[in-house]
Amino acid sequence: MEILAPLVLLAPIAGFVVNALFGRLLPRRVAGWVGAGSIGLAFVFALLVFSQVLGGQKVDQTYFTWWQSGDFNVPFNLYVDALSTLMVLVITGVGFLIHVYSIGYMRDDPGYSRFFAYMNLFVFSMLLLVLSGNLVWLIIGWAMVGLSSYLLIGFWFERRSAVLAARKAFVMNTIGDIGMVFAAFLIFLNLRVLDFQDLFNRVHQLPKGGAVITAICLLLLVGAVAKSAQLPLHTWLPDAMEGPTPVSALIHAATMVTAGVYLVARMHLLYDWAPTAAATVAVIGGVTAFFAATIGTSQVDIKRILAYSTMSQIGYMFLAVGIGAYTAGMFHFMTHAFFKALLFLAAGNVIHAFHDDQDIRHMGNVRAGLPITFWTFLIGTLSISGFPLFAGFFSKDEIIRAALNATGGEFWLGVLALLTAGLTAYYMFRLFFTAFGWEWLAHDDRHLHEALPVQTIPIVILAGGAVVAGYIPVASFLTPVFGRAVEVGTAAFIGLAALSVLVALVGFAVAYLLHARRPELAVAWRTRLGPIHALVEHKYYIDELYDRLFVRPGLALARFLNDVVEPRVIDGAVNAVAAAVMVEAQDVRGIQTGRVRSYALVTLGGAVGVLVIVAWYLGYLPWKFGA
Amino acid sequence: MPVPASTFLLLSAVLFTLGAIGFMVRRNPLVVFMCIELMLNAVNLAFAAMSRYLNSLDGVVFAFLVITVAAAEVVVGIAIIVQVYRAGRQMDVDELDLMKE
Amino acid sequence: MVVGFAIVAAWELVTAVGVVAFRKPMYNALSLVANMLGLAVLFLMLNAQFLFAAQIIVYAGAVMVLFVFIIALMNPEADISFIPRGTEWIYGVVFGVIFAALLGALLFNRGLTGRPGAFTPEVIAATGNVQTIGILLYTRFLFPVEVTSVLLLIAAVGAVYLAMRRIR
Repeated sequence: MEILAPLVLLAPIAGFVVNALFGRLLPRRVAGWVGAGSIGLAFVFALLVFSQVLGGQKVDQTYFTWWQSGDFNVPFNLYVDALSTLMVLVITGVGFLIHVYSIGYMRDDPGYSRFFAYMNLFVFSMLLLVLSGNLVWLIIGWAMVGLSSYLLIGFWFERRSAVLAARKAFVMNTIGDIGMVFAAFLIFLNLRVLDFQDLFNRVHQLPKGGAVITAICLLLLVGAVAKSAQLPLHTWLPDAMEGPTPVSALIHAATMVTAGVYLVARMHLLYDWAPTAAATVAVIGGVTAFFAATIGTSQVDIKRILAYSTMSQIGYMFLAVGIGAYTAGMFHFMTHAFFKALLFLAAGNVIHAFHDDQDIRHMGNVRAGLPITFWTFLIGTLSISGFPLFAGFFSKDEIIRAALNATGGEFWLGVLALLTAGLTAYYMFRLFFTAFGWEWLAHDDRHLHEALPVQTIPIVILAGGAVVAGYIPVASFLTPVFGRAVEVGTAAFIGLAALSVLVALVGFAVAYLLHARRPELAVAWRTRLGPIHALVEHKYYIDELYDRLFVRPGLALARFLNDVVEPRVIDGAVNAVAAAVMVEAQDVRGIQTGRVRSYALVTLGGAVGVLVIVAWYLGYLPWKFGA
Repeated sequence: MPVPASTFLLLSAVLFTLGAIGFMVRRNPLVVFMCIELMLNAVNLAFAAMSRYLNSLDGVVFAFLVITVAAAEVVVGIAIIVQVYRAGRQMDVDELDLMKE
Repeated sequence: MVVGFAIVAAWELVTAVGVVAFRKPMYNALSLVANMLGLAVLFLMLNAQFLFAAQIIVYAGAVMVLFVFIIALMNPEADISFIPRGTEWIYGVVFGVIFAALLGALLFNRGLTGRPGAFTPEVIAATGNVQTIGILLYTRFLFPVEVTSVLLLIAAVGAVYLAMRRIR
């Protein structure tokens, strides 16, 4: 096992190096398969690790000491347990499928090998984050993931909007990074360790619910919120859709944005010890879930709708880990990875078919032209809406059940989550009916083509996962990490299931009515709810708010510093010194008269000076001080 | 030795000072040079005197080396002065300021 | 002995003033020659016979001859007025006086002592002044001797070069 874990890391970084250095020299197909193959290889290693973890093994292996000064000792160690194994499997498995898809999707792009290089770099960073055994390397992986995200969002860097979006994402991620680093400072200051195993052993030394542990957890939460695009640091995610669709699928749906959830789950012992912080997590999650779902109902860009849906589903995960239902949260993470990746990739096919137009109002009725995409997208939609027998149903219900079971505020969060489920069904089916339609057109003069097999096969596999994943016993697999999950009575199970199915059906029905049968009703309702609709369509004007509050003052400050401080103060200081030196030099120049005599005079004067000193030293001169 | 060392040294000092004053005051480069020689001689006298009174020959040897160096210096200095003369410039130390900054 | 010293000292002072004060360069040069001869006598009094000979042969005999030749060759007029240009000469005189006073005070009162060496006049006389100095030159002071020879070489080269070059 000791060798396997690093191998999982080495495969993607090797792929990155090959594609980065030689990518442009290799033929296209080779570069693509190198990129995908390295992740596939990592997946194989991950499976081997999995088989060992299944047998009950857990590893905390140090490979070398990275930094040591005083008692600040940071080794490079990897922590392999059920939680990290689950993450690794999902990252490499789903990641591999997405890479294969990209071989087809990106085939016309000039930056082909660069794309795969960046994607491999991302997978490596994410794996590093997940496998790391101490907080420092987790933060390193965290930052590298942010970097990869920046590179991939801004992949089409000639597009101004893409570059701006990449920058926005990076700035917000950096805010999160600052929180993480400060959390690390606090942890080290109080507990003198950064290694997970030691940290977990020592947490109980701090007073439960005290200021220190709460501050640590809240600061970690800042990082999680930024990375997972939860309120209030969420505005970068919709803009991140500027990147290519596989990027959106991998990074902004299945993996990177779930890093925040992983962080809280990994630090669950800390969060158990700081109830206030945990409650904050849950509230942020629940509110974001609802909030994002409402926005999703009004958007018209297919990828943006999916982005808000991601935000919403991650809200569910945050809610789960916030109330202590860690297994439920990770279960939902796994199912979400399947169906969200599926939804994005299928959307990619449709976008390509409509010549890169992402407006859903221009699409519709693709059942005949893109059959495989059509059916797989439907499966994904059913899964995310929580229809029975699909994966999303099981995982979402577990979360709602855990919330409703609890007392106090958490119950109301559960109610909110239930409402959100209804909204989710509504907007996802709105998307489905508008963009995909239900009609089967025998003759279509738009000439839509289904995608290449290299693109459709991964989607089909993912669709299978979106159905089957619900039956995987994740809870029992994660027992060594989180302890036994609470048993649920059959009555409660069925009762809640019925309730959630009902809610989902309502959402479906409304969507069907407004968007499949009677579109004119949709228009009517939009005008009726005019102001509300405008509010939601403009994302509650949060972007504008942030612009006024932070961006404009920041730019003004930057401009002030650049135009006023820089030339006057900084350059002025430097120039003043130079000018002073010049003036002095001009005056001193006069010494060089060119006449021997004046030089000799100076020499003689110096000799006299020396004699005076000697005389004084020997006591010949009347005054003596400190001789 | 009936004459104390300090007397010799005083004489040496006076000669040196005379040389220095002459160096500062005169304008003919040749005369200036001669004043320099006077100063060197004064120093030689000091060396020799101390050598005698300390029962050591180091001073004498050093004075000898000073004479040698003075000879070399005179050679080069005279050459320069001759060139200045040949170039038609004023034989005036104050006028020769070509190396002015 | 003291009388002899007093006479020679007076001769030194007078000729030194002559070097500084005369208008015509030739007179200056001759004064300097006289000064050097007086100095040679002083060396003799100080039991430095070798230095006495070297002073006369090298200094008075070669260096001063060169001086005299050049003065005769160039025949500069005694035109240069005694009044120096500018105010520097005042400084010079002032400094000089201070210098002299200090030196005198330092040297006269103090009764300077150093570390006595081994070469008493009797010891020197046993081997002979010149021989002793010769031995010293080639044992203890070998390095300075060699350096000085290089210096002489440089001076010779420099003189030849300067004599060739025309100053524009």
